[in-house]
Amino acid sequence: MIIQIKDLHKYFGDLEVLKGINLEIEAGEVVVIIGASGSGKSTLLRCINKLEEITSGQIIVDGHDINGKNVNINEIRAETGMVFQQFNLFPHKTVLENVTLGPLKVRKMSKAEAKKIGLQLLEKVGLSDKADVYPAQLSGGQMQRVAIARSLALSPKVMLFDEPTSALDPELVGEVLEVMKQLANEGMTMIVVTHEMGFAREVADRVIFIDKGVIEEEGPPEQIFDNPKNERTKAFLAKVK
Amino acid sequence: MSNFDFKTEVIWESIPILMSGLKLTIIITASGLLVGFFLGAIFGLLKLIRFRPVRFIANVYIETIRGTPIMVQVMFIYFGLPMALGTRIDPLTSAISAIAINSGAYIAEIVRGSVQSIDKGQTEAGRSIGLTRAQNMLYVVWPQAFRRMIPPLGNQFIISLKDTSLFVVIGVGELTRTGQEIIATNFRAFEVWTTVAIMYLCITFVISKALNLLEYKLGLK
Repeated sequence: MIIQIKDLHKYFGDLEVLKGINLEIEAGEVVVIIGASGSGKSTLLRCINKLEEITSGQIIVDGHDINGKNVNINEIRAETGMVFQQFNLFPHKTVLENVTLGPLKVRKMSKAEAKKIGLQLLEKVGLSDKADVYPAQLSGGQMQRVAIARSLALSPKVMLFDEPTSALDPELVGEVLEVMKQLANEGMTMIVVTHEMGFAREVADRVIFIDKGVIEEEGPPEQIFDNPKNERTKAFLAKVK
Repeated sequence: MSNFDFKTEVIWESIPILMSGLKLTIIITASGLLVGFFLGAIFGLLKLIRFRPVRFIANVYIETIRGTPIMVQVMFIYFGLPMALGTRIDPLTSAISAIAINSGAYIAEIVRGSVQSIDKGQTEAGRSIGLTRAQNMLYVVWPQAFRRMIPPLGNQFIISLKDTSLFVVIGVGELTRTGQEIIATNFRAFEVWTTVAIMYLCITFVISKALNLLEYKLGLK
């Protein structure tokens, strides 16, 4: 088991956004989290690499309690790649420099080694020809693929995707999902918060529906999409279809 | 009409002496700002630390300096401090220190504001690939913030340059002081102050253009 979440509660001030989440994720699993905006799904994802501090509960990533006292959170974050809705590429660095920053500074690789890995990953996401341009010259879809390469450069054990296609023009969504599918096929453990139901159905091993900070229903995609048991799940799916 | 006649030769005579004053003005400004930038960077970043006592110290420095006139500050350093310390501080050191301490307080606010203006997503991305807080500042936030600092820094550089003219009160032989001294001998106030003003204008113009160029170069990325 690569991730284990036990009775996770998270408050923003007085507002309880996560109300006791229990979740276990196996290595190689692709889990898609769906739910309305404000349901807490992004917050859950952000707790897993400690971009949000949890209020109570426990999150164990690859055997480490990430909120434990003697844990080096930077090492754990390097093992859990994160892809953001707004890409968050470093605008002052070239595409290749974006990808090699982690290998150079976190993994302490030599420049030649980092460059080799960077170029391999850019090829993997289909952007070899963009290595030396700055992010501002890329389309949204290209930026998101660079962001994926940037996370992969750390050879993470888990990849977290926080609505990776929500900020994209419709015609650019496909190229990003294609890269994600390829990753899933290679056996990467992935947790994906998304509104792309087609992707969830095709790629997910398990779909989790979160509503008002609670996991209301989970199961294989066929079950969730074709035969939901929970009334809230039904209501949500009826709205997004 | 007064029968004032403008004597061009006064200008040519004054220029060599004024140039030595200008040189000192540039030395005071450049060294003062160099130290001031470091002070500003340090105190600006201290203001962003969560631990309150550290922020408090930074605030005391910034508020004290911004809340008192630079002329008082330089007289405190030159006339006041030696009484307490028992050693003389020479005028040039006093002048450079005053510019450094004074500009440092303003630059601290420029640094803080620019760093805070960088999107939080940048830090989240940096930390998510495992960069430490310090690495994230150094490689991700600072380079982007620095570009935003340039226009307000340009402003501060020009203000500090002009502030050196107040140092006539401690008798350091910078440009304004040299002008006063020439006028004391030839009484040609109009010609001399015109020349002095043009000299300041030239330097501030160069500073503006240089920073515009730097901003443009960094902005090309």
